[in-house]
Amino acid sequence: MKTGKMMTSKTMTNKAKTRAAAMVLVLLHGIIVFGGFIAPGEPASQNRDFPFVPPTRLHFVDAQGHFHLRPFVYQSVSRPEGLYEYEESRDQEYPIHLFVEGPKYKIAGLFLSSIHLFGVEAPAQIFLAGSDNYGRDQFSRILYGGRISLGAGLLATGISLSLGLLLGTISGFYGRWVDESVMRIAELFLVLPWLYLLLAVRAFLPLHISPVQTFFLLIAVIGSVGWARPARLVRGVVLSARTRKYVLASRGFGASDSYVLRRHVLPHTYGVLLTQAALLVPQYVIAEVTLSFLGLGLSEPLPSWGNLLANLQQYNVLVSYWWMFAPAMALVVFSLGYLALADAFHKRLQSVTV
Amino acid sequence: MAAEQATKRAARPALVRVHALSKRYVQRRIFSRDKFVVDALKNVDVEIPPDCLTALVGESGSGKSTLASCLAMLETPDSGEIWFEGREISRAAACELESLRPKIQMVFQDSSGALNPRFSAAQIIAEPLEIQRRVSGRKLRQRTCELMEEVGLSADWADRSAHEFSGGQRQRLAIARALALRPTLLILDESLSGLDLVTQAQILNLLAEIRIAHSLTCLLISHDLSLVGQVADHIAVMHKGTIIERDTRQQVFESPRHAHTRELLAATRTIASAFRAERPGSE
Amino acid sequence: MNYLTRRLIHGIMLLIGASILCFLFADFAPGSFFDEIKLNPQISPETVAALRSRYGLDQPMPVRYVRWAKSVFRGEWGYSFAYNAPVRSLLAVRAGNTLLLTGVATFLAWLIAVPWGIWIAAHPGRGIDRLSMGSTSVLLSVPELVLALGLLYLVVRTHALPVGGMVSLRFDQLGRWSKIRDLATHLVIPVTTLVLANLPIILRHVRSSMMEVLKAPFIQAARGHGISKASLLFHYALPAAANPLISLFGFSMGGLLSGSLLVEVVTGWPGLGPLLLEATMSRDLYVVVGVVMSSTLFMILGNLLADAMLLAADPRVRMQ
Ligand SMILES: Nc1ncnc2c1ncn2[C@@H]1O[C@H](COP(=O)(O)OP(=O)(O)O)[C@@H](O)[C@H]1O
Ligand SMILES: [Mg+2]
Repeated sequence: MKTGKMMTSKTMTNKAKTRAAAMVLVLLHGIIVFGGFIAPGEPASQNRDFPFVPPTRLHFVDAQGHFHLRPFVYQSVSRPEGLYEYEESRDQEYPIHLFVEGPKYKIAGLFLSSIHLFGVEAPAQIFLAGSDNYGRDQFSRILYGGRISLGAGLLATGISLSLGLLLGTISGFYGRWVDESVMRIAELFLVLPWLYLLLAVRAFLPLHISPVQTFFLLIAVIGSVGWARPARLVRGVVLSARTRKYVLASRGFGASDSYVLRRHVLPHTYGVLLTQAALLVPQYVIAEVTLSFLGLGLSEPLPSWGNLLANLQQYNVLVSYWWMFAPAMALVVFSLGYLALADAFHKRLQSVTV
Repeated sequence: MAAEQATKRAARPALVRVHALSKRYVQRRIFSRDKFVVDALKNVDVEIPPDCLTALVGESGSGKSTLASCLAMLETPDSGEIWFEGREISRAAACELESLRPKIQMVFQDSSGALNPRFSAAQIIAEPLEIQRRVSGRKLRQRTCELMEEVGLSADWADRSAHEFSGGQRQRLAIARALALRPTLLILDESLSGLDLVTQAQILNLLAEIRIAHSLTCLLISHDLSLVGQVADHIAVMHKGTIIERDTRQQVFESPRHAHTRELLAATRTIASAFRAERPGSE
Repeated sequence: MNYLTRRLIHGIMLLIGASILCFLFADFAPGSFFDEIKLNPQISPETVAALRSRYGLDQPMPVRYVRWAKSVFRGEWGYSFAYNAPVRSLLAVRAGNTLLLTGVATFLAWLIAVPWGIWIAAHPGRGIDRLSMGSTSVLLSVPELVLALGLLYLVVRTHALPVGGMVSLRFDQLGRWSKIRDLATHLVIPVTTLVLANLPIILRHVRSSMMEVLKAPFIQAARGHGISKASLLFHYALPAAANPLISLFGFSMGGLLSGSLLVEVVTGWPGLGPLLLEATMSRDLYVVVGVVMSSTLFMILGNLLADAMLLAADPRVRMQ
């Protein structure tokens, strides 16, 4: 009796956890999808007079000590004596306005618009996460780069899971030599350390190709390297589902392979697939980041979290401009959300199977 | 009177005639030469007379389920013949199977494993109809409810999922599902094991009703001779992959021919007398 | 056949499979080292063709594979186009450096994780347990790349440790103890990164397998006999929880090696990672294959070691 009650309260909190993690993720993805609206500027627009500007500070209290309800910024001006050193010019406050007119973009990549969530009047600029060596707004670049990095992660996950589902199902359902050979190959992919494998596969593909080609090539490489684990898990589920009595009964009614698969076998794999998806997406985003960081992925001027971080490979950037770590923050926040979701899925899966 | 009827029925040609049926399971490991061989069926000869309840008994591992699977065309035997309604079915082609399958239906022992836990009662019963494309839409729903009521389940429970039913109710669901295709032969493989005595009796009663209503031939498989001995018209005894005895119930009980049958009978009697001894005054 | 012999044969099969896989990938790929040379106007197409045939690149895949296999048996591991030297001579030093880094990191990570995990498993739900679980779940979502960069930043800002490479420039002039000290200080950043990246997984596994065992009846019985807590945890529970942990040791090699590749590149540790990156950039086919094979070899050796430990810890395994 008591254990029963404890069980329900535990699964309840797990349910709440799942929901919380899912909601946070939806919010984060929403920010990326509507990145054009949230970003105050364009990712590619350079401002060569303002390289490496530190994050703009938001003020509420002005020089006279008056409190402003609407936050404002000061204009950053370079200090005459130092290279890449800035100070705030306190002459004039530039209040932050909501829904301002700015550069054109497409809402969620669909409708043309020029309204941005926030902005300040020229000549002041607002760099929430500082600016990079070309004076581009890092905050905008992180938002736009998120599209590419997350898009790559999601698509690659789709490829891995589709491959894993297909091969795992064939393997588990048809058994015998098919199973034997697919699982041997899977073992091969699992025994190779993934980053070495990734680099090796990348090594054999052309280096200098167009950014769009690179993007899809990268997704294909990342996605096809990671099929083995989902395939193994799916195989296990299919194998155990296949030998259930109700599958035998279904055969007795004259069910075809496709009916048995569709109605009795595949529904069991969804839990595993969801958990794997939540684990793979951050892993693959990191894979994209890693490859781009190493110069084997997407290159400038296309922003991705990887090539944003690649700035840190320069010693002076790493030492002097801490805000160049900002893309890493975005990466960590997304990973945290996905891992929390994966954890919740995993717990639910266990409570179902036990 | 009953014996007379039984002999009259027996005079008609058998519904199922099994001849020299053999099945061997071989398990081998890859990269290893050791094989693990089980002769589950060895030259089985048996007949199932029509419109009767035939019991197949034998201790566990004697090959009863294997025989049932072969009859239900879920396993292909290595050699031998199975004649059903004048056709040899053990090596039927896929197109023939389609028309044959509905006629021989099976109810499994483990009722929780035999019903998909993700399905509702209605979905479970509708499955064979869906696969065979007999009826669809509103009619399908109506037919499912009819079947539920026929096996003594309220149609109000149609949308409950399988695990919300008790063991006996699940067995009823499995029977309803098997009846959906209006089979000629119904095989119940250990369908009463694992149920309590009252539920066993209820299911046996249900079986008697539907046998008459559908003019069904039943093969009731059990390891427990005392249980099926009371209801079966014919009894076949299986031992180590062969049928060692098949006759009317009376014949088997009164003058068993095989030593192993006598052992089985003796076992049921000792258990029965032990029961009586333990509960004085219960008679 | 003996259990370990079987595992050994299995490992060798995997190695052969991995090498075939590498050659298959290379065969699918459109570009090669000589394509880059072709772009150079000073080298005539004839020279490129001659070079190609000299290195056997005009041969079909199976022929190239057999040639490569022969050169492995000769101890050359193919030929590097870029270095103009047998691959083995390049690999040996680099592989040793990677092994040093990963070996030290593995040792430290387990050394920390096991007692810590046992401790928090024995006191579930307490503050220290919650703190450990919370911090590890955050740490889990920080990629090695970010960890390495962050540590590098801290060190560079504080000037606490030397940065970059494996030893200082004046290493050769140092005495023996100073040499070891120098090496150790250079190890700190890469090792710390790897330990931080791998500690959470190991810690969580130790905790969960210990908690599983502590629930078992024989532990309850031992507790009833009044055995001391430390003895209970380390002499009774830990051996019982060892099997899954030893398996984890085998599995975790892959993550460790991948992490090490990145850390090496970021911190300038002259291991296999920078070599692979360089070879990837210059399409130095046999170096890529050689590095991948070395990493696979490490992985398989790690698994074999785990198998051997499993055998020592649990005689039942012999039956399998
Ligand atoms: N799929 C199978 N693979 C291997 N051996 C099997 C298989 N099914 C049954 N057997 C073996 O065949 C023998 C008969 O089994 P079964 O027909 O299930 O016996 P019963 O139903 O009388 O208990 C047993 O020894 C069993 O182990
Ligand atoms: Mg059986």
